[in-house]
Amino acid sequence: MTTFTRRSLLKTSALAAAGTLATPALLRAQSTELVIGCAGSHTAWMEAIVIPHMKAAIGADILFEGTKSSVNLEKMASNKDAPYLSVVQMDDPVMIQAVEADLLTPISEEAVPNRADLRPDAVHMEGMWCNYVQPWAGVAYNTDFADGVPSWEALWAPEAAGQVIIPSLQNTEGMWTLFVAAMLGSGKPFSEAQYEIDAAFAKLEELKPNLLSVYSTMSQAFNLLEQGEISMLAGNFSSYTLPRKAEGVPVDLAAPKEGIFAMPSGICLVKGGPNPELAAAYVNEMLGAKMQAEIADFASSVPANTTVTAGAVIPEGVQIYSPDWAFVAANRRDWIERFDKLMAL
Amino acid sequence: MNRITLLAVPALGFLAILYALPLLMLLAKSVSTADGLSLAEYRSFFADEHNMRVIWRTLRVAALTTLLALVIAYPTAFAMSRAKGPWLTVYLVAMVLPMSLGVVVKAFAWSILFRANGALNDALQWLGLIERPVRMLFTETALVVGAANVFLPFMVLPIYAVVRQLDARLPEAAASLGATPMFRFFNVTLPLTLPGVVAGSAFTFSLAVSMYVIPSLIVGERQQTMSMLIARSFLYLRNEPLGSTISAVLLAIAVAVVVLSSIAARRLGARQ
Repeated sequence: MTTFTRRSLLKTSALAAAGTLATPALLRAQSTELVIGCAGSHTAWMEAIVIPHMKAAIGADILFEGTKSSVNLEKMASNKDAPYLSVVQMDDPVMIQAVEADLLTPISEEAVPNRADLRPDAVHMEGMWCNYVQPWAGVAYNTDFADGVPSWEALWAPEAAGQVIIPSLQNTEGMWTLFVAAMLGSGKPFSEAQYEIDAAFAKLEELKPNLLSVYSTMSQAFNLLEQGEISMLAGNFSSYTLPRKAEGVPVDLAAPKEGIFAMPSGICLVKGGPNPELAAAYVNEMLGAKMQAEIADFASSVPANTTVTAGAVIPEGVQIYSPDWAFVAANRRDWIERFDKLMAL
Repeated sequence: MNRITLLAVPALGFLAILYALPLLMLLAKSVSTADGLSLAEYRSFFADEHNMRVIWRTLRVAALTTLLALVIAYPTAFAMSRAKGPWLTVYLVAMVLPMSLGVVVKAFAWSILFRANGALNDALQWLGLIERPVRMLFTETALVVGAANVFLPFMVLPIYAVVRQLDARLPEAAASLGATPMFRFFNVTLPLTLPGVVAGSAFTFSLAVSMYVIPSLIVGERQQTMSMLIARSFLYLRNEPLGSTISAVLLAIAVAVVVLSSIAARRLGARQ
């Protein structure tokens, strides 16, 4: 029979505990590994395009964690002293918060030469982050129910009772419904209406009878649209709806007459993140012509690299808006609380 | 410290580092302000009517989930205790195997079941119980049914463990003395199985009161629970004192349930 002493038991336990705690760090110490934070909706093209390309082009083994921008921000803030993410792809308003929290390191043209080919408006705060590709956002609808959504007012129409899902303000795309409500509620053009938040919330309250739900997990809401449980999903974007349409699913993305929105997809380098040189090489590839063309085509998005002509076709005849993200970043917490209380059943 | 007590050292160390320590830090955060210790965050939380509604909904959903799971689990535990050979294996596998399936996958399955043209509405219409589809998705009923489905094994297994050890001669003895089946159940069988019921209910209630993914997927953001408020506070509002406060309130509820059920189980055990 095996016997054990108190000393050997304690020693074994201590070694086992240390081994368990140290294992992730040991695994991550591999020099070719890069951990990327991104959105859950990026999964398809990250797996199909980015991971194989990065292995071939820069020899990087990409691990990615797909979640919401605000969750990525929390991961960065919580691990500020010992970051494990090297690069994060998240939305502009959250990037502003990340800069304020001193979590980013600038993307310089020396380390990332492809930055020079970007549209000037795709480089923010002297390179703290860049937009890489930008989907456009409108109203996703089930084509079995309608031929299109000519106006955002369709969300409020009596015949849409119980047929609409909108994103929570916890999700960046939730801002589009808020801003549309501001435009419709105040009667002002977008440039002024985006600051009319009281009018926006008053108009949103009128939307409640038509809401089946408010989502914070988009894939499930989109699944209900595909199944015909709802007819419209507000604020959805080209990189998600149009690939599903191309697969033969009865959905389409409408560009209502009042205007559509540019999704603020940004990429940044995490301050003090592992493998900084490889991380810069990753960002350089993401901003380069080859990756931009492939991702833009795959995800029906607009490339930020001016040398690329591929990607989504922006619907003609409608305005495409980009809001004052600094104003959003400064007020978003209050808006989330107000929105949750307004929408609560 | 004897040798047997030493066997608990790894588990105690693990819990101390990964549970007790973070918990203490969390509690400290809920009462820490720039001016020192304060209960201001608690006062502010309880003063908000929205938060009170969320607490009430959380408790109501957890209680209904526990009740539904109990109603299903109790007869199931008896069926399992009577099962022999391969049938017992089938029951146990049927109980445990669904736990390996992710909640996200189950939520998608439920959405197919509960939707307007889903299987449940079709069946109710076919049976003539409803004339037109009723809304089931994003309702509290769907949440309770879904949660009871997920937590059912945590109710069945403790009851099964007690029922299996039940002396079958006791109800027989009661019958021989002229007790009716109803009398035998309420005065012999049920009291003897109550420790299992209490343990299963404590497990299920504790899990249901703190569930996050299931309500997020089934009822969405319009019917928030305390766990959803905690996630929102930490992740979206980036308000750690508020998140810590709600966590402490939720913890107090869960601890109260566990302590009260332990007392109940001990008293029931003593009575027998």
